[in-house]
Amino acid sequence: MVERQSGGGERAREWRRNLQGLLFVSPWLVGFLLFALYPILASFAYSFCDYRVLTPPRWIGLANYQALLTDRDYFLPALGNTLFMLLGLPAALVVGFGMALLLNHRLPGIGLFRTLYYVPSVMPTVAIAVLWMWVLNPQYGIVNVALTPLLAPFHLQPPGWLTDPAWAKPGFILMELWGVGGTVVVYLASLQGVPAHLYEVAELDGAGAWDRTRHITLPMVSPVIFYNLVIGVIGVFQYFTQPFVMTQGGPQNATLVYGLHLYLNAFRDFRMGLACAMAWILFLVTLAATALVFRSSARWVYYEGEKG
Amino acid sequence: MGRALRPFPLPLRLAGAVLSGLLAVGASGCGGPSRAESGVVELRAWTMWGGEEADAFQAAVDAFNRSHPGIRVRNLPSVDDPKIIRAIVANDPPEIFTVRDPSYLGSLAANGALRPLDDEFRAAGLQEAAFAPGSLSQGRYRSRLYGLLYLMDCIGLIWNRDLFAKAGLDPDRPPATTGELLEYARRLTVRDANGRIQCLGMRPCEPQLVIAAFGGRLMDERTGLPTADSPRNIEALIWYRELIDAQGGSTEVNAFAGGFGQDQGINNPFLQGKVAMMFNGQWNPYWFQHYGPKVRYGAASLPRADRYPELQRPAFLGGNLFCIPANGKHQPEAWEFLRWTQTEPAQVLFASTMHGVPNLLSARKVRSLREGEPWKPYFGLFMDVATSKDAQHFPVTPVSGLYQYELNNAADFVRFGTKTPEQALRDVQRRVLREVGMWQG
Repeated sequence: MVERQSGGGERAREWRRNLQGLLFVSPWLVGFLLFALYPILASFAYSFCDYRVLTPPRWIGLANYQALLTDRDYFLPALGNTLFMLLGLPAALVVGFGMALLLNHRLPGIGLFRTLYYVPSVMPTVAIAVLWMWVLNPQYGIVNVALTPLLAPFHLQPPGWLTDPAWAKPGFILMELWGVGGTVVVYLASLQGVPAHLYEVAELDGAGAWDRTRHITLPMVSPVIFYNLVIGVIGVFQYFTQPFVMTQGGPQNATLVYGLHLYLNAFRDFRMGLACAMAWILFLVTLAATALVFRSSARWVYYEGEKG
Repeated sequence: MGRALRPFPLPLRLAGAVLSGLLAVGASGCGGPSRAESGVVELRAWTMWGGEEADAFQAAVDAFNRSHPGIRVRNLPSVDDPKIIRAIVANDPPEIFTVRDPSYLGSLAANGALRPLDDEFRAAGLQEAAFAPGSLSQGRYRSRLYGLLYLMDCIGLIWNRDLFAKAGLDPDRPPATTGELLEYARRLTVRDANGRIQCLGMRPCEPQLVIAAFGGRLMDERTGLPTADSPRNIEALIWYRELIDAQGGSTEVNAFAGGFGQDQGINNPFLQGKVAMMFNGQWNPYWFQHYGPKVRYGAASLPRADRYPELQRPAFLGGNLFCIPANGKHQPEAWEFLRWTQTEPAQVLFASTMHGVPNLLSARKVRSLREGEPWKPYFGLFMDVATSKDAQHFPVTPVSGLYQYELNNAADFVRFGTKTPEQALRDVQRRVLREVGMWQG
């Protein structure tokens, strides 16, 4: 009897402790339920509705998904534009990694260089977008001012960048390369964690700089490359602010990326049901792309302490 | 020693603090409409204007508040349309608001979000004939009045007299037809020794302005259906393509226009001599006076298409509408403010500071709006053009925003030669028609 009472008291104390814990996390929990989980579930339901914000949603089954997947004018080109931006990822990885290798040397003033290359990644996206509207300006932009004398001997004009449908997306990719400082810092941290004895042993075995990079540095930092790749893939699918500020999708829809098209459907045309369906398709596409990267990782990512 | 009161456990205290904080915010921050104890009704006006324009509107609000002791309007400046729409959906809209993008009017009206104003308009003794036709029709959806402009915008042709003279053209004679404009644009486009554009004859513009010059229509008023691919609209885009090609083609023209600075300021490309002609609005004469008083310019209606001599002084109209939400409070008082904005003194007051075209025909005759400063005669010209029978505006439909976007896109495709004008406008028609069908069905 006494034992049972004491067991009951223990349970009551535990329950109270749990309750206290829940109360402590309740601001976050309530916030999550109200402002994350509910909208996520609601958006899934709305994706099967004709919902125009000012009037109640009307159930239309799979019509939104059907309309999207057969839309050759906007949806498929917008998805194509976003996929094109994926081409910038390998460039960003190579440039970021190369820059990290250079910044990994112990040289006087290297701290200043590391700071300088990191600065773009702490600038607000909108500020960068406005800055790059001028950097890529066909007439006065610094890029074309530099390119003009280089191209002049060949009687070529520098590209129109954001004003030219063929060059607008490469312009965005160039701009993204400028902001790789964030990934450089992650590479740097990883590079500094590569044990020095591995390099020493390799040197004793007669390995050159390239061999040391190829067979020691790359495998050792491959988990970080993998991490940056996954974050990069997700980032590309969510790309929105820069085209929203700089081109609004033009010229000729060349920069109408998926996120921007979704936004215009929702907040310009009030096709909220269609926009919700787009959000869910985006989620699935991002999930598939990330899963693909994860699957491929077994072939090229090396984890210390694991076999293989 | 007496037993001290046991305090609440920390988590409960924290939760209590958060809850009371939320309640305090809820009680104090929302600032809904109120009838003060003195019997004065407070109206919240959410308006689009910011900066100097907000000051100009505030002066009008002050004048109203002085002359209407029972009503007090409080203006919230720089409000964007989505905020207003959210407030309507949340059932806590302001008593009166402006629609920044007129293309929202149709969808708001079609959804029953706006109070129709026809009964009040009639009861107040307002006469339709006293208004410029284009001012009231911009606020009408399916023959019912849902919004009133405070002032109108009117777009015509503006040209640089000095650049005309330099190109051997008569600086006092603007192009009267689109054919002439094409020829002028060719002659006025200047290149440097390397062949790069230094000055564009005619600044690229939105396709609906070109369509207005051809007397084209974007909607069948009888059926309410779009007519994007009507023959005149196709002709307009064919001409537009010729215009861009005459100046070097879209890639070159875009690259040059990409370097233009902001219109409001000294970097305005017209003031910088980078464009010789443009289709632009009545606010320019005032801006030019401030930002480039030495530039000699002229203003006229849009040129008409050569094939349609019956067109008289075509122009394109716009403006920002005031609306009363269907679920708003104090609607009679909100209407009282709206009605006041349509009186001659209120129109003249706002027109003289905001430089918009008055809706009231009588206000357009007021001399202070036409004389007294060098720019005012040009402003007067825009006021005259705004009443032309061939002045048109974008049709009010539930899909106007999409329609406008599609048209701009079509013009883009045509300029770059990716689609023919027929193809591009057929695509617009197909997509807009489908969207209209979704609204009707």
